[in-house]
Amino acid sequence: MENLHSPSDQLIRKLQWIWMIGFILLVLGIITWFIHLMRAALWLGDVPSAAIGIPLVAIPIFLALASVVFYVFWGLAVRGRGQ
Amino acid sequence: MALWGMVIDLDRCTGCQACVMACKAENNVPAVGDKEAKKGRTISWMQVLTEKDEEHHEEKMRFIPRPCLQCDDPPCTKVCPVYATYRNPEGIVAQIYGRCIGCRFCMAACPYNAKFFNWYTYQKEQPGQNPDVSLRPKGVVEKCTFCHHRLQKARERAHAENREIQPGEYNTACADACPAQAIVFGDLSDPGSEVSKLARSPRAFKLQEELGTKPKVIYLTEGEGGG
Amino acid sequence: MVDHKDTHEDILLAPIAHTGLGFYWTVAGLSVFILWGAIAYSVQFYYGLGVTGLQQPVSWGFYVTNFVFFIGISHAGTLISAILRLSRAEWRRPITRMAEVITAMVLFIGAGQILVDLGRPDRIFNVIRHGRYQSPLLWDATSISAYLSASLTYLYLPMIPDIAILRDRLGKWKLFYSVLALGWTGTQAQQRVLNRAIAIMCVIVIPVAISVHSVVSFVFSMTLQPMWHSTIFGPYFVVGAIFSGIAALIVAMIIFRKAYGLEPYLKPIHFRYLGQLLLVMALLWFYFTFAEYLTGYYGAEPEEMKVFWSKFSGPFWPYFWAMVLCNLFIPLSCLVRLGRHTVGKVLAASLSIIVGMWLERFIIVIPTLSNPRLPFPQTAYAPTWVELGEFAGSLALFALFYLLFTKVFPIISIWEIREGREEGVKEVEERIKSYLPDEVKGTA
Repeated sequence: MENLHSPSDQLIRKLQWIWMIGFILLVLGIITWFIHLMRAALWLGDVPSAAIGIPLVAIPIFLALASVVFYVFWGLAVRGRGQ
Repeated sequence: MALWGMVIDLDRCTGCQACVMACKAENNVPAVGDKEAKKGRTISWMQVLTEKDEEHHEEKMRFIPRPCLQCDDPPCTKVCPVYATYRNPEGIVAQIYGRCIGCRFCMAACPYNAKFFNWYTYQKEQPGQNPDVSLRPKGVVEKCTFCHHRLQKARERAHAENREIQPGEYNTACADACPAQAIVFGDLSDPGSEVSKLARSPRAFKLQEELGTKPKVIYLTEGEGGG
Repeated sequence: MVDHKDTHEDILLAPIAHTGLGFYWTVAGLSVFILWGAIAYSVQFYYGLGVTGLQQPVSWGFYVTNFVFFIGISHAGTLISAILRLSRAEWRRPITRMAEVITAMVLFIGAGQILVDLGRPDRIFNVIRHGRYQSPLLWDATSISAYLSASLTYLYLPMIPDIAILRDRLGKWKLFYSVLALGWTGTQAQQRVLNRAIAIMCVIVIPVAISVHSVVSFVFSMTLQPMWHSTIFGPYFVVGAIFSGIAALIVAMIIFRKAYGLEPYLKPIHFRYLGQLLLVMALLWFYFTFAEYLTGYYGAEPEEMKVFWSKFSGPFWPYFWAMVLCNLFIPLSCLVRLGRHTVGKVLAASLSIIVGMWLERFIIVIPTLSNPRLPFPQTAYAPTWVELGEFAGSLALFALFYLLFTKVFPIISIWEIREGREEGVKEVEERIKSYLPDEVKGTA
């Protein structure tokens, strides 16, 4: 069912990698933000319990999210492609 | 390190509101105008609250001048998301207008309603304003700062003259203005200062002390007090 | 059999394939409200928050109420969808996508309410550069961004097989669907990967969702104000959120059922089950409310009682009793007997609950602020056209986002319905058999 307007496989793969990397960068950015806030609070001596406790919970959640999405991406688009 | 505090003698207070006017003049507190005042947006860092006297309902009024109580455990600083309000080492709860994002969480958290908001741009630069105090833009919270600019000036003068600040050299505008001398301001950490001595009076009480805010404005109750 | 299936599935693909006049009329109507909201906000941005009805001491009003309300609705989707998936309730199949979309779209609107409420929105980056974790607003920022990311992921993953169907069958936007479909061809290996990922997401999403509305409640309960500083707020808000979320989900389902002709998929049985769930949540919400107010009343602490009476018989009594009517009495009378007119009754209950839950947020925020502890002169808060416009614009924007989503992706999960027909029936039969005592291998 290939028609002239069918987008090339290469283009699709490239775009998929781009948005996957974009998502990972977003998650890393958010994690960097949490760490920045934590360091600022520790430097100012402002409630270390909250400053450490909350990122301690939030960062693993974002890491888990990124891992799940990457796992799906890898399993479907890279490894499982058109078997 | 100094610990700035205030004692207000309710027996001496006549409700004349000279403290309110002096504070407004000293700190460039904007006059919001008639329409805004009707909507309940008057900004008044020092406010005189009135309460009907408990025993003599229709005859006596109780006047309670209420500046920012400069709590030692401020509920407002806990909830600020951006470090725009914080307690400095000398006990003054500072307000940074340039940082404030106007979320008004501190206003919701203050049990004394000592914080005010600039709902519009209430003032522009004009002659007659105090050049030592910055004008607040719209969308930020402001409150009594114990005339912090006067402390800065006194500290700089003392530093230039190579000495310590003398008691009485730094006084708030409201304490200066009160004709009945009901407001006494000074260093609570100095046990010999007048403010410390008055704070230890048997008539002394703190507003809503049970909330645990540890306010540094201490009131002296009317009459002989003591229990 | 194949034909029958295909005809039905065509209904699901139809909104994406064709756009009727109804769509354009709806968008036009929504745009009017969005325009009103946009104008209202521009006026506010230019002049300042003074254009609202906010004042000393009621410095939080409509916007914060809307914030809590919209974030509350976000609990519809992901929580319901995740819980139903985890508990393997087969009736969830046509519902989960609709629910997940609600969450994803309404979170943007909810977070937007806070932006609208700021006195200096130009300084929003201060929260990123100078945030303080002791402040419940930062807990909000963290929690909502986690929930947004998780729910978008949880929306996207189960959509992949459907996107593959669109890639193969639709004919337009092929590149877009191909990229998003991640090369899905339905092989065993791919299915295993996807099912595992969805199962993990179900488990991640539930605590994140609960944390979201808990921290929203902490914005109030972490202050010292009367009738805010209450330990029940965390669970109370979560229950209220699920309650209002299910109601919003039902309304969305009924609207799109009518608009897209989804009657074969969204049958009265689905509404009956959701209606029963709604009834349970109504009673649960009432229990929490009752416990909260009884505790306050029994303790009779003077500052709390001032706020209590202002809600019960004072200036806020119309809103308080309307809330009780809308959240308890109307739903009870509609939902107790769902025999006939199921869809109609459930719709009536849901609309009533949406209004009632908005009133509940209002009743929590405004009366406490209106009754400060120290003796201040009495004032009254009334919203202006700016706040009303912003509310209308927000609702319309949410509806528009939702509508646009249904034009790009199928609003009912095609592959899950197929899976239900092909595997679900067998699986449920085996499950039920496993509950019963094993058959005795007989004598004869």
